[in-house]
Amino acid sequence: MSALPRVFIVATALLATLTAAAAEPLRIPVLVPITGFLALEGTSQRNGAELALRGSGVDFDVNDTATSPEIAVNAFERALTSGRARDDVIAVVAPMLGTQMLALIPLADEFNVPMVTVSGTARITELGSANVFRFFPGDVVVKAAHARYAVEELGVKRPAVIFQTTAYGQSGRAELDRNLTALGRPAVFAEGLDVSVKDMLPVLSKVRESGADALLLHLHSGPTALVVRQARAMGLDIPIIAGSAMHQPETAALLAPSELAGVCAESGASPISESDPATRAFADAYRTAFDREPDAFALGQYDGVQMLLAAVRAGAKSAADIRAYLASRRYRGLAMTYASDGKGNMAHSAVILCYSGDSRVPVIVKRYENLTGIL
Amino acid sequence: MLGAQLALNAVALGAAYALVAIGFVLVLNATTAVNFAHGESVVAGGFAAVALTGALAMLLPAGNAIPGIVLLPGVLLLTALLGLAIAALAYLPIRNRPPVSVFVTTIAFGIIVTNGLNAAFGAAPRAAPALLGTGTIEFLGVTASRQSLAIIATAVVLIGALAFVLQRTQLGRQFRACAQDPEMARALGIRLTRITLLAFALGTAFAGAAGLLLAHQFFVTPSDGAGLILKAYIAVVIGGWGSLRGATIGAMLIAFFEVGVASISSQPLAEGLLYVAVLLVLLVRPDGIFGEPQRLRA
Repeated sequence: MSALPRVFIVATALLATLTAAAAEPLRIPVLVPITGFLALEGTSQRNGAELALRGSGVDFDVNDTATSPEIAVNAFERALTSGRARDDVIAVVAPMLGTQMLALIPLADEFNVPMVTVSGTARITELGSANVFRFFPGDVVVKAAHARYAVEELGVKRPAVIFQTTAYGQSGRAELDRNLTALGRPAVFAEGLDVSVKDMLPVLSKVRESGADALLLHLHSGPTALVVRQARAMGLDIPIIAGSAMHQPETAALLAPSELAGVCAESGASPISESDPATRAFADAYRTAFDREPDAFALGQYDGVQMLLAAVRAGAKSAADIRAYLASRRYRGLAMTYASDGKGNMAHSAVILCYSGDSRVPVIVKRYENLTGIL
Repeated sequence: MLGAQLALNAVALGAAYALVAIGFVLVLNATTAVNFAHGESVVAGGFAAVALTGALAMLLPAGNAIPGIVLLPGVLLLTALLGLAIAALAYLPIRNRPPVSVFVTTIAFGIIVTNGLNAAFGAAPRAAPALLGTGTIEFLGVTASRQSLAIIATAVVLIGALAFVLQRTQLGRQFRACAQDPEMARALGIRLTRITLLAFALGTAFAGAAGLLLAHQFFVTPSDGAGLILKAYIAVVIGGWGSLRGATIGAMLIAFFEVGVASISSQPLAEGLLYVAVLLVLLVRPDGIFGEPQRLRA
C-alpha cells in the first residue's frame, strides 16, 4: 500500500473519532439517595435535578446511592468510568447524605469533577476541596436563623433541643449550640434520638421537667411529626421551632392542621408558600411532572443545576470551565441569589415559616438574607 | 402519674412488637431458618392499610373516615398472601440447602418488597387510620390514647387466639409436632409443606396486623423493615428460640428499655443498656429465658 491511501485511512479514522467525540452531548450524572432513610429528601433532590435537566440538551442518568458511602462511591466511579468518555462529564449532582459526600470528595478531586449538592452537613465544605458546591444553606446558615428566630423574635429564654444521632443531626446540633450560646441562651436540655425511636414521651417528659420555654428540633421527617404530635397530645404547649424537615409537605401531611398550630421551621426556601410567578411556575411544573408538592431540597437542586446549565450556555465545555464558573459567578435562582464563599457554600439565606393551625401550607414569617455576608 | 403514663405507652409498644416477634417465631418453628423478610412484612401491613384506605375512600361519600378495624381483615388477608409468596419463592425451593441460603433469599425478598413499596407509594412517611378512632381517654390521671388501648386489645385477642389454636386444636398439635421434630412429624403423616405454608401465612399476617397498628401511631416508611426485624430478632434471642411466650416477654422488655429506661437516662444510653441486657441473658441462659432445648436453630 502506498503512503497516500494509508494517510487517507488514518486521517479518515481520526476525523470520524473527532466527529463522534464532538457529537457526544455533555453529561451530568445524578447520584442521589432514593431508597433508605433519606429517600424522601433524596427523591426531592432527584426531582429538582431532573426537572432542570429535562429538555436541556445535556445527558443525565439517575443512580441510587441508598444510604451507604460504598454504594455512593461505586455509583460515582461507574458514572465516570463506564461507557462513554469521562471528559463528557462536566459535573455530578451529588447525594445530599453527608457521609456519602465525605466519601465522594476525594474521588471528585481525583477525577477533577465539580459536585453540586444540597447536603446540609457543614463539614463537606471544610475539607479544602475545590469541587464541592452546596446549593442549600448549610447548618452554619440555617441554624443561625433557627436560633435567632427563637431568641430574637419569640423571646425564648430556656430552649430545649432534640436532635437526630445521625451525622446530619450531630452537625445541626453543634451549630444550634454555638448560636444559642452566642445569643446568651444556651440549651437547658438536649438529647439525641436514633431514627428508629417510636415513642417520644420519654424525651418530651424530660423537656417538660427541664422548664424549657421552647423546643428546637433537628430531626428527619417522621420523627419531627412524631414529636409534634406527641407534644400536643401530652399538652406540652411551648413553641416548637423545627428543622427543615418540617417544611416538607409530606411531613405536614402526617399531622392535622390543628396539631401544627404554633409550629415553625427553618428552611432554605418554601416553594409552596411563595407568591412570585417564577416560583409558582416551578411549583406547577413540579406537580405536573411528579404528582407531588415541591420542597426546598427540590428547589435548591433545581437552582444548582440551572446554574450549571447557565455555565454551559455561557460557553463552558469541560469540568474545569464549570468549576471556574461556579466558583466565580453570582447566580440569581428562584430560592435566592447564589455565590461561592470560596469553600463552595453557595447559599447564604434562610427563611422561617410557621403554620397557622388552619392549613398545612406554611407562611414565611421571616427572611434572613445573606447571613454570611458573602453577597 | 408520669410513671403510669410511661408504663401504658411501653405496654402498647411492647404489644405491637410482640405481634411482630410472634409472627417471626411461628415461621422459625415451622422451618429451620430465619425469615429476614419479616420486618418488611410489617411494613407491607402498614402500606396495605394505607392502600385499602385509599381504595375504600373512593367508594364512600367524602368526609367518611374509615376505622382501622374495618381494614384489619383485609390487611390480614393481603399479608397472609405475602407470606405464602415468601414461602413459595424464598423458602420452599431451597429448604434443603444450608440455612444461610434462606438468609440470603429472604433478605433479597425483603429488599424487593422495600423497593416495590418505595416505587408504589414513594418514600414519604405515611399514616394508617386509627383502629377505633383517635383521641384520648382520661383515667385516674393517666391520659391513654384510644390507639394505645386498641393496640393492647388487638394484641391480646390475636395472641390469645393463636395460643388457643396451638394448644387446643389438631392443627396446633401438628404445628407443634413439626416444630419439635419435622422428620418424625412427616413420618406420622403430617404434611410438612402445608404446615410450612400455613406458618408463613399466619406469621406474616401477624406482622401485617402489627404494621397496621404501628402505622397509625408511629407512621410507616418503606425502609422501616430493617429496624423491625432487628427488634423481632432481639425479642426472640431474649425470650428463647421457638418460644411464643418468650417472644412476648422479649418484646415487652425491648419496649420497657425504649420507653422506661429512656425516660430516666437517655435514648442512646437506653439502647446501649438493652444490648447489655441481651448479652447478660445470653451469658446466664444461652437458650434465652424460655429457650427450647430440643434442637439448635440457625
